[in-house]
Amino acid sequence: MSPLRRFLRRPEAAAGAIILGVLFAMALFASLLFPGDPQAIAGPALLPPFQDWSLPLGTDRLGRDVLAELFHGARTSLAVGLGAAAAALFIGAVVGTLAGFAGDLVDEVLMRITDAFQTVPSFLLALAFVSVVGPSLGVVVAAIALGAWTGPARVARAEVLSIRERDYVAGARVIGMHPLAIAFREVLPNALPPVLALSSVIVAAAILTEAALSFLGLGDPNRVTWGGMIAEGRTVLRTAPFLSIIPGIALVLTVLGIYLAGEGVVETTAVRRSLS
Amino acid sequence: MSDISRRTLLSGSALLLASTAMPTLGWAQTPKKGGRLVLAADSEPRNLNPAIVASNGVFFISSKIVETLAEASFDGKDGLEPRLALSWEGAADGLSVTFKLRDGVKWHDGKPFTSADVAFSALQIWKPLQNLGRTVFKDLSAVDTPDDLTAVFKFAKPTPFQLIRNALPALSSVVPKHIYEVGKIEENPANNAPIGTGPFKFGEYKAGQYYKLTRNADYWGKDEPYLDEIIYQVLPDRTSAAAALEAEEIQLAAFSAVPLADLDRISKVPGLKVISKGYEGLTYQLVVEINHRRKELADVKVRQAIAHAIDKDFVVKTVFLGYAATATGPVPKNDPQFYTADVPTYAFDVAKGNALLDEAGYAKADDGKRFALKLLPAPYFNETKQFGDYLRQALAAIGIDAEIVNNDSPAHIKAVYTDHAFDLAVGPPVFRGDPAISTTILVQSGVPDGVPFSNQGGYKNAALDALIAKASETLDTTARTDLYKQFQKEVAADLPLINVAEWSFISVARETVGNIANNPRWAVSNWADTYLAG
Repeated sequence: MSPLRRFLRRPEAAAGAIILGVLFAMALFASLLFPGDPQAIAGPALLPPFQDWSLPLGTDRLGRDVLAELFHGARTSLAVGLGAAAAALFIGAVVGTLAGFAGDLVDEVLMRITDAFQTVPSFLLALAFVSVVGPSLGVVVAAIALGAWTGPARVARAEVLSIRERDYVAGARVIGMHPLAIAFREVLPNALPPVLALSSVIVAAAILTEAALSFLGLGDPNRVTWGGMIAEGRTVLRTAPFLSIIPGIALVLTVLGIYLAGEGVVETTAVRRSLS
Repeated sequence: MSDISRRTLLSGSALLLASTAMPTLGWAQTPKKGGRLVLAADSEPRNLNPAIVASNGVFFISSKIVETLAEASFDGKDGLEPRLALSWEGAADGLSVTFKLRDGVKWHDGKPFTSADVAFSALQIWKPLQNLGRTVFKDLSAVDTPDDLTAVFKFAKPTPFQLIRNALPALSSVVPKHIYEVGKIEENPANNAPIGTGPFKFGEYKAGQYYKLTRNADYWGKDEPYLDEIIYQVLPDRTSAAAALEAEEIQLAAFSAVPLADLDRISKVPGLKVISKGYEGLTYQLVVEINHRRKELADVKVRQAIAHAIDKDFVVKTVFLGYAATATGPVPKNDPQFYTADVPTYAFDVAKGNALLDEAGYAKADDGKRFALKLLPAPYFNETKQFGDYLRQALAAIGIDAEIVNNDSPAHIKAVYTDHAFDLAVGPPVFRGDPAISTTILVQSGVPDGVPFSNQGGYKNAALDALIAKASETLDTTARTDLYKQFQKEVAADLPLINVAEWSFISVARETVGNIANNPRWAVSNWADTYLAG
């Protein structure tokens, strides 16, 4: 049985994959389905959902199309989630590999820095970073990555510690490969799988952190974000609860989908490993 | 509305009567003594001295403790009614104003209130230290005190009596000389625990929780105040005020603490009333501030194009849900003395806006954009932020690409008024009954950097400056009023800033709260006659 079919046979993994697929489709086709600025005023303000089929999910306080905002918001959420996770995994893998492979003083220094970052709650770190540098998409991604790279770094280091004692590493040393080349060409690729297993958690956390930042008014104000939509809806929570509920549901489903799909991948590969 | 009971309807109409016909009341409902009024406070000013910080956030709490010489009134002469002063008279040459003071008034610490306190407050605080007094009282040279109950203000240059009169409700908070004459005024502990002559004494302040004011048994008003205590419950979250009202945790939410979008729903809750009166003297103006250092914005055609791009009716209807009025110029429509409608106006006309920009030489590029701007909406109100979002869309329609930059309050004030790091900003200046108090400063040149709510856009217009200077020394009320009408015309023509809308606030209260909104600055007046029925 191919890994893909094994993956899809797990119902929760399949559900996760479907949600993710929908999310990617939303992000990809956002500008095709809803060309122009999603923040443009499209109709009367505070139109409830399912009243006017040209604006199926209604409009917000200024009369902007909630559905268009939801699609374009998916884009921001995915961009931030994937961007932050990629950055965090990259930094974490590099730091972890260097620390684990070099050992001694380098290891000590890098791991104490990691400790320092780990002791600061990552959300506070992101909050402080964004409020100092100013909110824009790149800054938000950097701010989230800043608090998320420590996990991958620790996992990578632990893997590298066991891998560097293997025979093929000793072999590489004997033939005179540069230590850095050994670290990044021989050791890192083999240490990656468990590190990558963290990615679903990091993506999900990054999307939530971005939403929380936007909710607090620290998102990029020139972009639609789900957190920002929830924050704006909050002022009219009693009269137009759908403005907060709709992006809230989207957020929950996204995080759930990423988590389920991620779990599915990890478990499928684990089965494959134990089979082999 | 069908579920409103007969009783609530009756008591509601009695209160409505009370709010409109207060002075001749008596027969309708006798105010009841006693009780504790709990209300929502959304900010926690640190300095509570209204003589130094003349702002509504401070007045909201301290106007009950520290009184002014006169208060605004719906039907008093010149829109005023006496407080600490019983009468005021300006000399024909504009060089002096004589105040006769109230007899038998005591400070909260028992010392008598005299003209020396007025002289001290005016010369040592209003003129050198107060944010608004600096302009209005700039030519005040001395205050003579021939006896304990007479204070004669002497001016070095003729100063219009109309201006002084209009300034009394907001600018004339009198603080005790014997407390403030020792040490530095700015560091006096009474700034955080004020001592005044008002109907309530300062009780205590717990940061993040509440301010407590207690009844002043020695108050000069007969039988007043009616309330035993006022508690300002700190509820910084605007959505929680409505819930607290419904749960009967608080009895009053002033200054639109209940979001506008919730008013329709809450007006149907039995036992609560929505009141839009009592803020006539506190009109906020929604203004697009313009940085004239940007070469595009220095061109009047571009400013006119922006004015044409803004649909003021949409803003009033959607952003303010109808609780506002469209603006024509720098004086709000509800001002009884100065407003004129005879000014150039800018109808909502996107095509004309585009044509003006083409004429100005800023053609659309291939992507439909002419140039990009930084837009800084002030963070103080939901409405200013929402208008920022709207303005970005309105500008996109005429090919101007605006990037919104959000800041918190201190960062916004620094960016706009000190660093000038903006192209357009959305600001909410306050009109205070006379253009010379806080309106002309918005367009006048030569204001030093860092003065908030002043012209920091680098706008220079010698003719307008001359007009402002002339009006500030014109003594005749009619001539002075005409000059300010001229001022409105010129501002509307040259658009140093764009006035979009004017709004005030809404109070929501339990129906048991009596004598609400009985003067044009009710929320920031002394509340000596406020009471709780049943």
